[in-house]
Amino acid sequence: MTDAKLNKEKSGEISRRAFLGTSAGAAAASLLGKSEAAAQTAPPAVRSTLPRQSAEATERDVGDARLPAVVRAAQRPGSDLMVQVLRDLEIEYVAANPAASFEGLQESIINYGDTPNEMPEFISALHEESSVDMAHGYAKAQGRPMAVLLHGTLGLMHSSMAIYQAYQYQTPILLIAGRDDTNFLRSQSADDIAGIVRSFTKWDAHPKTLAEALDAIQEGYRQAITPPCGPALVVLDTELQKEEAGDMQAPAYVPPQITGISTSEARAVAKALVEAKNPRIAVGKLRTPKGVSDAVELAELVGASTSTRATLVPMSFPQRHPLCGPGADTDYDYTLGLETGGIQAAIIGPHRRTLEGRDLTGIGYGFIREPPTPLWGPYAPPKPSHNDMHADAEASLPAIIAEVHKIISPSTSNTIAARSKQHAVANHEAAVTGLEKALEERRRGWNGSPISLARLYAELWILIKDEDWCLASPTQFSGGHNRVLWDHNKPYSHLGMHGAGGIGYCIGASTGAALAAKHRDRIVINIQCDGDLNMVPGSLWTAAHYRLPMLVVMHNNRAWHQELMYAQYMAGVRGRGGDRAHIGTTLRDPFISYAKMGEAYGVDSEGPISDPSKLFAALKRGVDTVKQGRPYLIDVLTQPR
Amino acid sequence: MKTLHLILAIALMQQTHAQDISGNAEKGEHLYYNFSCYSCHGYGGTGKTPLSSETSGILGSESLFLAYLRLRADQNPINPKNSMPNYAVSTLSDEQALDIYAYLRSLNDDPPAVAENPVMQEMLDAAKARGKGSEN
Repeated sequence: MTDAKLNKEKSGEISRRAFLGTSAGAAAASLLGKSEAAAQTAPPAVRSTLPRQSAEATERDVGDARLPAVVRAAQRPGSDLMVQVLRDLEIEYVAANPAASFEGLQESIINYGDTPNEMPEFISALHEESSVDMAHGYAKAQGRPMAVLLHGTLGLMHSSMAIYQAYQYQTPILLIAGRDDTNFLRSQSADDIAGIVRSFTKWDAHPKTLAEALDAIQEGYRQAITPPCGPALVVLDTELQKEEAGDMQAPAYVPPQITGISTSEARAVAKALVEAKNPRIAVGKLRTPKGVSDAVELAELVGASTSTRATLVPMSFPQRHPLCGPGADTDYDYTLGLETGGIQAAIIGPHRRTLEGRDLTGIGYGFIREPPTPLWGPYAPPKPSHNDMHADAEASLPAIIAEVHKIISPSTSNTIAARSKQHAVANHEAAVTGLEKALEERRRGWNGSPISLARLYAELWILIKDEDWCLASPTQFSGGHNRVLWDHNKPYSHLGMHGAGGIGYCIGASTGAALAAKHRDRIVINIQCDGDLNMVPGSLWTAAHYRLPMLVVMHNNRAWHQELMYAQYMAGVRGRGGDRAHIGTTLRDPFISYAKMGEAYGVDSEGPISDPSKLFAALKRGVDTVKQGRPYLIDVLTQPR
Repeated sequence: MKTLHLILAIALMQQTHAQDISGNAEKGEHLYYNFSCYSCHGYGGTGKTPLSSETSGILGSESLFLAYLRLRADQNPINPKNSMPNYAVSTLSDEQALDIYAYLRSLNDDPPAVAENPVMQEMLDAAKARGKGSEN
């Protein structure tokens, strides 16, 4: 081996032949090669496991493009300070499809500091919609935002549906859009690029100086996590990213003050809960795991039976907690709602209607209006309730708990303990009875082919029930069997729906949930609809590249099945039969091979599986692989629903 | 409404011939999938809205089945109250409908009982065990 070649390999560079996979030894050192190869060639000082870009690849990417005239060899570029602000906010990941308008910030993310590329880690996404969906899934799982970089007008438009869905779900995301209207294509910039998504973001800013930019990133984060939560956007001009920061320092972050109910209201709620003979707490969707643990603490303190939405949304009360269920007596004399209705009292956080300066109703997006927004059907104004307390429930819980502690007596505690025990017994009986009924209903078609979705959920449950898992995919299109067959006891057990039913969300959001899971010994389950995956399949590559613990089980019914039923119904009511309803609604001729699709993106895959007797073994291979920190895809031919 | 009562009465009277199956199940299977019946009722009639003699009242007799298929379109072709599509004679003949009927009657889903299903039994056992502490 020549010295030049030896030096080149030591530096971590990769030859063009190796990149193209044209030599036998290429695989060991190729960009897509095994981690061992990367470890052998990476300089020891660099802790990232990801290989650096080769000179050949740089030449390929840059070609004969000229550097922008405004670029400066800043000793301390402004974008370094922007990254410091992101670090101070403990942003773990920044997802992006790379682009010129944020090249300064991207370079800082991967090179700034003593331990480059650790936090926030730059996550390569293959589509801007995927980037935002990842952030959506991550925030649902963790109750806090990650960031997304978007490229000017085009990146914002590519990502717009995903932003819209996050807005509908009130999911916090920090969006950063690069803007360059000096040295790049005019058509990719605009005076007010934030206007593209202003109708479905919570807040935006276009700072004019570096100092303003740093403040704006912090304010964007605060806005995103302050109820009503939602995506917030900061537009960063490319010059600000590249200018010399000099002695400027990143400002200290001041967290938002989130308003709960008043002390007197907290005292009244606490008194009512303690004095009630049979109190009830209805728990909706809270914001963070802290809110969930506080809700549990309050329910246990006062011995209240609880209801939960944990089978439908993240951040709700543990489904199998002994107090969760109808309780020993359903004649409740005081019901408190937390982010949901309560007969005597409900603490309901602010909704989007409270946002000033946002165009909520005049944009043709119909349902962005007053709460409660109906999921289906025409909009109807909410019924006024004199029991509502308009404040964030999670922020209110500590005060209520403190007031309960003040007034609870030893005799009351004994009464509460006895009541709690009765609730536990009754709730357990109700859960077992419910499961017996559910299993009986789900026996049908157990040995049928295509495979019963109830069987898929049941067999998968056996394999994951003792793991720390997160069900990231919406499940209504696959029967929603998790709701009765699985136990949803963690804040992230189930991440709920898309936000607006937009297809393409599932694979990106699951990948984001897997980013959250990666360093937390958690695995992510994605019951993946085929139509959804075909929208933006590139997240499979992201999952493979970053070794994400995501099990993708294809709900492959070879159709956009809801639409097949719509077409069939419409043909029926028009007296034209249903024998042509498959046109435009099915994925036939040819069938799509999702196992090959997964393999093409670097994900270990198998299938299609149509024999139900082979399903369990395949699921076990999948779960075992995911537990080792790699994604796995199983293509399963399933019943339509 | 009188028409509805008349058709149902005729259909119910004819249930005395409930075992009569005149159609061709093999052809019916083809039609069942070609007309996308499976989209709601599932492969083998075991989907979200199952179709079997045990679970569906409309399979009592050929005439009842036919009446149900036609009735909806006759009664409310614009805004039916359930999502079952209508099948007019012009799009699905009586002969074809009875072939589908024959196919549906030939289906025999015989899943294991919960107690004989290791997966389901394990789920049930785990759920029962979970409450042991609360019963003490």
